[in-house]
Amino acid sequence: MRVGVFKFSSCDGCQLAFFELEEELLRLSERLEIQYFLEASSKNTWDYFDLAFVEGSISTPEEEERIRRIRESSRSLVAIGACAVSGGIQSARNFENFSEVYFSVYSGRYEVNPLSKPLSDFVKVDLEIRGCPINKEALREVLIALLQGKSPQLPSYPVCLECKRKGNPCVVVAKGLICLGPITVAGCGALCPTFERGCYGCYGPVEKPNLQALLEGYSRLRVSQELLKELLRISFNGYNKSIREWL
Amino acid sequence: MKVQIEALTRVEGEGSLEVFLRDGKPESLRLSIYEPPRFIEGILKGKPYQVIPDITARICGICPIAYQMSGAQAIEDAFCVKIPEDIEEIRRLMYFGEWVQSHALHVFFLHLPDFFNVPSIIELSKIDKGLVLAGMEIKRAGSLIIQALGGRTSHPVSVVPGGFSALPESLSELKETLEKALEKALWTVEKLKALTFPDFELKEVLFVSLIEEDYPILKGDIYLEGVRVSPREFKSVFVEFEVPYSTAKHAMTKDGRVYLVGPIARFNNAFEKLSPLAIETAHKLSLEPMVKNPHKGIFVRIVEIVHALERSIRIVKDYKKPQKSKVEVVPKSSTGYGVSEAPRGILWHSYSFDSEGRILSADIIPPTSQNQRAIELSLWELIKDRENLKEDWLRDHAEPVIRSFDPCISCATHFLKVSLKDAEKFTLA
Repeated sequence: MRVGVFKFSSCDGCQLAFFELEEELLRLSERLEIQYFLEASSKNTWDYFDLAFVEGSISTPEEEERIRRIRESSRSLVAIGACAVSGGIQSARNFENFSEVYFSVYSGRYEVNPLSKPLSDFVKVDLEIRGCPINKEALREVLIALLQGKSPQLPSYPVCLECKRKGNPCVVVAKGLICLGPITVAGCGALCPTFERGCYGCYGPVEKPNLQALLEGYSRLRVSQELLKELLRISFNGYNKSIREWL
Repeated sequence: MKVQIEALTRVEGEGSLEVFLRDGKPESLRLSIYEPPRFIEGILKGKPYQVIPDITARICGICPIAYQMSGAQAIEDAFCVKIPEDIEEIRRLMYFGEWVQSHALHVFFLHLPDFFNVPSIIELSKIDKGLVLAGMEIKRAGSLIIQALGGRTSHPVSVVPGGFSALPESLSELKETLEKALEKALWTVEKLKALTFPDFELKEVLFVSLIEEDYPILKGDIYLEGVRVSPREFKSVFVEFEVPYSTAKHAMTKDGRVYLVGPIARFNNAFEKLSPLAIETAHKLSLEPMVKNPHKGIFVRIVEIVHALERSIRIVKDYKKPQKSKVEVVPKSSTGYGVSEAPRGILWHSYSFDSEGRILSADIIPPTSQNQRAIELSLWELIKDRENLKEDWLRDHAEPVIRSFDPCISCATHFLKVSLKDAEKFTLA
């Protein structure tokens, strides 16, 4: 299998999951031909890929063009991490006045799009690995399943199930914290509630999240609709297709 | 006429190197950083102070803890919060974890392949699997410290203003892992001490690092040439400016001198504060201050790995879960500064808040933008007298120079508002 690993607007944290695989990466590399991976190798070729892993969001005209070229060169395209899946933290600007954000940081000359968007706004995405960053267990599952010609099994249920499995007391009930766990995809191991915080949504929304029900559930914590929106906009996944309209 | 490396490889982030020729001789060069800006400081405006550690962590996947520590300390400085000694010690432990994993990533995955003339760690493992596995084990030890304290290696979740959201009951299971990793690190020293380096020295460069009682990592004043500068005074000593060809800013001292931050600067300024085994390791590697050859950064990183592991073992042995994992933070209208030693050097944060603790302005200066000038000068020294430069030669000789500085381009890609006039004053001669 010919593999490419690509980076767009991002922090590099999801590519690191490949390095985190450590010895398994060495073993897998006997069956995978890693053709293109700038951060890992000084020898890179770009002709065609059975499997392209893409980190980062699309936020410049050059990136729009490059993601289309990757799509044309690849049989399967996997979006890795919240930037690629939803637009990332940089998509928080999509809900604000862009020129204000832009000029509060930067004095000009850079060609950048007002919106930071997920890959799926531009090309067909075959598979998503969720998380900010993704975790190596999910990456391993995807690599091994695809090598065996099977469908990878990744969680689609919410974080609450993981919390229950871990035996965590619910931080909403026990501590009165706001937690996005009920509408966020599992996979992290319910990290934030385990460290006595509310989940901040970095694995992104479950399919068809019921935001209205969440808001009603949180009404006794006096969480306003505006506050919930603010939390979702900075959840690293605010511009995900399933919630952007609501925000 | 121009020769260039279009995409640098085995560095964190995306950049290119361009060399401009006139009559076949190098005239100027540019280390261009072309990652799109992500406007983190702009996004922070108007948000509550609590989001700083989680959001700024996302500037960099390799050194998120540096952002969380500098950010949390800036908040605590603004709101006059005093962090108890025991919580600070646990912060240091977490930070050591990041040093170990980031340095091991750089030494073994990114830098070492150059010395064996192979393109990647995967190819390196075919030559010397033991060495690669040792590197991975060392890196894992750093990751495990961070996971124990914060749940995951990249973007851990427990760092909050005032301390930690929660802390583990015990860290005793880490002790053996760290001791084994330290053994492995000492073993790699024996393997690598015969490495040879291109003969090359940084000229006229100031070494800038923090000053703490111990070898600097978590906080402190900024030290340069016998002068101490408080985090608050940072901008009166250093100046940042945009350059037309890059999305990362450059920095120099106000009086126009190039400076270097990071492992080599720390080593040169605080050598005697290293842990005993780290000093012994430096002797084994024939390192002593002043290290001026950037290629030897790989050795200095190994010394710092040994130091970080030795200090971590001590903290883990003494670990008792604090009574309270965090102290109370009450916002007020104010400005605060936080600075710490990221794996790659000084990372400075400053925030202004309103009385509710909402962010009025944010300003972050990462190590790589401070080092960019020194990297370019080193490259210039390397190429300035060469004729008939070819891309292959640049790949073989210039790219390793860039790599030896361990630039973190994701970090460097973000901006401040400065006027273009300022930038024009600082073009490379």
